[in-house]
Amino acid sequence: MNRNFKLLCAALSLRGGAKAPTWQSIRSFWANFKIQTDPHSTSLRSVPQNDNSTISNCSNGFKSLNDYAEDVYKCTKCGLCQSVCPVYKATGLETAVSRGKFTLLNGIINGKLKFNKKIAKNLELCLGCKACYDFCPSGISAEEIITAARHESSKINGIGFIKRFILDNFKSNFRLSLLKIGLKCYIVTLNLFQGLSCFRLLLKPKDGKMLNQVQHDNSSNKFIKYLTLFNSQLKENVKYRKLKSVKPISELNIVYFPGCINNYVNSSVKNAVLIVLEKNGFRVNIPKNFTCCGIAARSSGDFESFSRLAENNLNQISDNVDYIITDCASCGSAWEFYPDFVQGKLKEKAEIIAEKTININKFLAEREIYFPENVEINKKITYHDPCHLKRFQKVFEEPRKILKQIQGIAFKEMKDADVCCGAAGTFCISQSEISKAISSEKAQNIIATGADIVCTSCAGCKIGLSQGLIEKNSTIPVYHPVELLAELYLKDEK
Amino acid sequence: MSEFNSNINDEIINSLKLILGNQNVLTDYEDRYCYAYDATAIGEALYLPDAVVLPENKEQICQIVKIANENNIPIVPRASGTNLVGGCIPLKGGIVMHLSKMNRILNIDRNNLICTVQPSVVVGNIQQEVSDLGLFYPPDPASLKVSTIGGSIAQSSGGPRGFKYGTTKDYVLGLEVVLADGTLLKTGGTTVKNVTGYNLTQLFVGSEGTLGIVVEATLKLIPKPEEQQVMLAYFESIDQAAEAITGIISAKITPATLDIMDKNTMVTIENFHHVGLPTDMEAVLVLEVDGFKESVAVQTRQIIDICNQFGAKNIRVSQNQQEADELWFARRSAFGAVARLRPNVLTEDAVVPRDKIPEFITKTREIFDKYNLTVCIMGHAGDGNIHPNVSLDLRNKEEAENFEKAAEELFDTAIELGGSLSGEHGIGMLKSGFMRKALDENSIKYMKEIKKLFDPKNILNPGKIFHE
Repeated sequence: MNRNFKLLCAALSLRGGAKAPTWQSIRSFWANFKIQTDPHSTSLRSVPQNDNSTISNCSNGFKSLNDYAEDVYKCTKCGLCQSVCPVYKATGLETAVSRGKFTLLNGIINGKLKFNKKIAKNLELCLGCKACYDFCPSGISAEEIITAARHESSKINGIGFIKRFILDNFKSNFRLSLLKIGLKCYIVTLNLFQGLSCFRLLLKPKDGKMLNQVQHDNSSNKFIKYLTLFNSQLKENVKYRKLKSVKPISELNIVYFPGCINNYVNSSVKNAVLIVLEKNGFRVNIPKNFTCCGIAARSSGDFESFSRLAENNLNQISDNVDYIITDCASCGSAWEFYPDFVQGKLKEKAEIIAEKTININKFLAEREIYFPENVEINKKITYHDPCHLKRFQKVFEEPRKILKQIQGIAFKEMKDADVCCGAAGTFCISQSEISKAISSEKAQNIIATGADIVCTSCAGCKIGLSQGLIEKNSTIPVYHPVELLAELYLKDEK
Repeated sequence: MSEFNSNINDEIINSLKLILGNQNVLTDYEDRYCYAYDATAIGEALYLPDAVVLPENKEQICQIVKIANENNIPIVPRASGTNLVGGCIPLKGGIVMHLSKMNRILNIDRNNLICTVQPSVVVGNIQQEVSDLGLFYPPDPASLKVSTIGGSIAQSSGGPRGFKYGTTKDYVLGLEVVLADGTLLKTGGTTVKNVTGYNLTQLFVGSEGTLGIVVEATLKLIPKPEEQQVMLAYFESIDQAAEAITGIISAKITPATLDIMDKNTMVTIENFHHVGLPTDMEAVLVLEVDGFKESVAVQTRQIIDICNQFGAKNIRVSQNQQEADELWFARRSAFGAVARLRPNVLTEDAVVPRDKIPEFITKTREIFDKYNLTVCIMGHAGDGNIHPNVSLDLRNKEEAENFEKAAEELFDTAIELGGSLSGEHGIGMLKSGFMRKALDENSIKYMKEIKKLFDPKNILNPGKIFHE
């Protein structure tokens, strides 16, 4: 399966050229980041080079490992981080936990160790979930330090092949669109294969059932699991329909940042956000040239790309907006990180805008929004806290409040709702086995609630939760709370 | 690979890999670098193991220890590595055995009030699991959310509840131990009463991994108390607080917890956590009473009366679970707050007879003041176990040396007052040099004889307890 995925990746990278480029050339090509597509086409273009920006050499503006020398040193080695680290739980390795990483980083700072492949590999073993930060007696932010270390490490060791490919795709809207088409083709092809008897023979599980019948049986067939995962990511729960507002039209100047997944992979959440906001009298504006928020680039240590994406996104809006609404936990955090990754006047703007960034759950929960009384959703729901929403943006009561207000919903809290789902950006690809173990644990807790639907507010978590549920052969669907609200409104309209 | 500190060689590493699988034998420098420490602040010293192994069952442990013994290779067992006296540090290189993959509770027997566990089960998890069944495992080291039962048994850990409920040693009924020759020894059993021969179980409890490696333990459980009540009582002087402690105990009340924190500790906690502790008081007593509802109410009233009688300026009593948690948060955040003052924290663990507490606290403060060290004194007043937490920067040579001197004076003081070196952390490498202060020649001689009997080649956690 992994091989299939790599082939798909390879196929997707051959864009337009008659001659297949080498990986080196592709990498340098994207690293240079020039507009390759028609510059006049608006929606499908790469991040433009920012002419106004004062930054030329981005690396000068970023915090380096040495800036964190005191933080790294003050780790008392108490080891409390072991009790909350999902990666430690899955691996049992001292190197997986923050204490181990601080020891290594302290060794690097003192000149006893050097950034090498082995350290780069150990640095990979962090979800960036920030669970240890809340628990750390010395209050050290492992996530921030490890990310900075990854940045330095990547300059020496590079970023892994698959990671690099994925990050490059997210840097360009055009490539994301291709990725989606690629994924769809891939899935259609796989589905076709299922229909062909010769492939059936190849892929038939021992009990003799057909593939589509065994998708959720106790089959360990990786192939089917990936297929199901891709299908679950592309299934659109909510289709957009213009609904009549039930509230007076608000004068607020709202920009909605839908993120790349919503724009180019699955628009369901975007549709839902638009439906819900419009129904409640809020007009939203989505600038055309928004790109990916870049969070995966930041957490992989590719600060340069993150900075360019930040510049682009910041340049699409003015700082006199009232709110930037995000629906995805990671996108929201990205906007809050932007001030540290851009410079000059843009930094000031980024700071103002970071203050105005608000998650859709919080935006809605703070207002008297419409809850129709004559329609209901008769489902048992549980909620998973995305790390970036609970621990980074401190939003965790709001989505629960919204869900509990929907008529007919029975809300059941799951065990360890705020433990990372295991997806963590590119972690689920670079450390797929550990990621799956963490996701499975999460899925176990979801299944134990007996819920019909699990809600979360992050595109990344959707992958993590789906991955775990599929591993556990469960068909519980993953929704954004806003999707349920939109469904309710659509029902109400009928 | 000529850099090995012990007799290990590539052939031995290959045989370890055959037993455990490649992924469970770590030999890369960077991996070993992460097993050269535990929670003990040892500055820049580096004691690198030659290999780290992660066994998954006791049979594998037997095989590894056998190989180590045949080849004279030191072996240091480790679970969460929260030891405070360097117990998990591989002083002589060799193999570090990380038991993190043996972390299952094997059985909870509600009828016999016992549970059987693997060594790497976290103490807090045992408490949670048995609590769900209405049972209680009382020992509660401050690190219980992460420290394991294997480590608890090795160090015979205590905690605030030690005064009423005793410590780990009072809850271990039986053990399975891998001995230095790689054989498995079963001690004790599953019954509370058991006088069949020598009490080998207790020999291993607190043996700091120098006599054998605990691979399974049977623990005693008790019924969970119906209710708990937490109180904080503030005093204007340490003496008043100490008198109140004596008053409470002589009134035949046995609180589950009877802890004390000094002014410095309160100020430090307030600086970082704002939990509402007064910063103008000299001492606070943290009290918890438990038992049946009615008895808790009676004890609470009595304690309030006694504290008032001895001049308590204010008493905070928890009205519900949330408030109880808040009061406990104040106590539990003490270490973290001290950790934020300066980069390193060293926690001492001397124990004195209960009635010597005021004297000991006063002298402790004098000693650390003399050496210009910041100290926050907290401890379990009920059992005379005092933890001065010293906040310093070990990169500062003078500070580090001053700490050494202060620690020695502290031990002398504790022993003069009729106490000893350690209440619940153990001796490890940090205090081995002071053993002769606390014990007579004969005690040390017989202890060494026992060590020689169980581990003639000195491969099990060498360099700990006894000064070499």
